[in-house]
Amino acid sequence: MDFYRVLGLGPKLQLNSVELQQLFYGRSRELHPDRFARAEPSVRAAALEESSLLNDAYRTLKDPVSRAEYFLKHRGFDIGEQGTKDVPPELLEEVFELNMALEELKSGDESARPQLATARDHFAALLAQSDDELTNLFAAHDASPAEAVLRQIRGVLNRRRYILNLLRDVNGYLSN
Amino acid sequence: MAYSDKVVDHYNNPRNVGSMDKNDPHVGTGMVGAPECGDVMKLQIKVDPATGIIEDAKFKTFGCGSAIASSSLATEWLKGKTVDQAMEIKNTEIVNELALPPVKVHCSVLAEDAIKAAINDYKKKAVPAEVNA
Ligand code: FES
Repeated sequence: MDFYRVLGLGPKLQLNSVELQQLFYGRSRELHPDRFARAEPSVRAAALEESSLLNDAYRTLKDPVSRAEYFLKHRGFDIGEQGTKDVPPELLEEVFELNMALEELKSGDESARPQLATARDHFAALLAQSDDELTNLFAAHDASPAEAVLRQIRGVLNRRRYILNLLRDVNGYLSN
Repeated sequence: MAYSDKVVDHYNNPRNVGSMDKNDPHVGTGMVGAPECGDVMKLQIKVDPATGIIEDAKFKTFGCGSAIASSSLATEWLKGKTVDQAMEIKNTEIVNELALPPVKVHCSVLAEDAIKAAINDYKKKAVPAEVNA
């Protein structure tokens, strides 16, 4: 996991954003091109590469969701994999029903609007809930790393995608 | 992205859009989703219990054009097949028929998953209660 290595971090899912930023600044200074102005071309090139890796690493790791996706990918998990196994069927049902309501609204049936507003609140709550779940699962993983916890995390990440997608669509319709 | 003529045709005139009563014991319902895009697909089959032949199929897909075309095509193929034959339908056949580009392969996988889910749901219902116990 290069992103962790370049920042000098161990394989933890819980990262403190202030500390992460400090690490990033520190490493950025060490890898600053000015310090390599007189170095061998190969050394300079290596530092440049390391510093672009560092930037990618920071951008990815500072967001808990993209951090978890990166982490899982390097543990051999597919994210956004096909199939419903990780997503509760009730959520799919709900997503489906909501899409039906959206379609009615699109076709000019305004009676679906209140249902959508309720649904939006519900899905916003689900999103907040999944963020909390992630926080807890991160802590559980760091306390004792286990495949089962990572699988649960993937489940939450997959669920989150449906929720986000829907919220975007619903908000789009409600705002016009 | 350019869709093939067949995709456009299914997209503009989707076959068998609709739904059936999912509590009907002869109806199997498959509800699947693709987390990468958030698309969802519902596919249902109605089986003649005497012959095991699928007499009707319906779908409703909220997703991209390829997913709609894949599920529309799937319902066409399902009708008249036995449940076992239907189980054999592969997403690659859908890819070939619709000339889907590689980035759209997952949309056809969604259709295959939906077929399998519908059949499994039907089979679960068809199992007599004693055998279930
Ligand atoms: S892009 Fe999601 S099913 Fe086609």
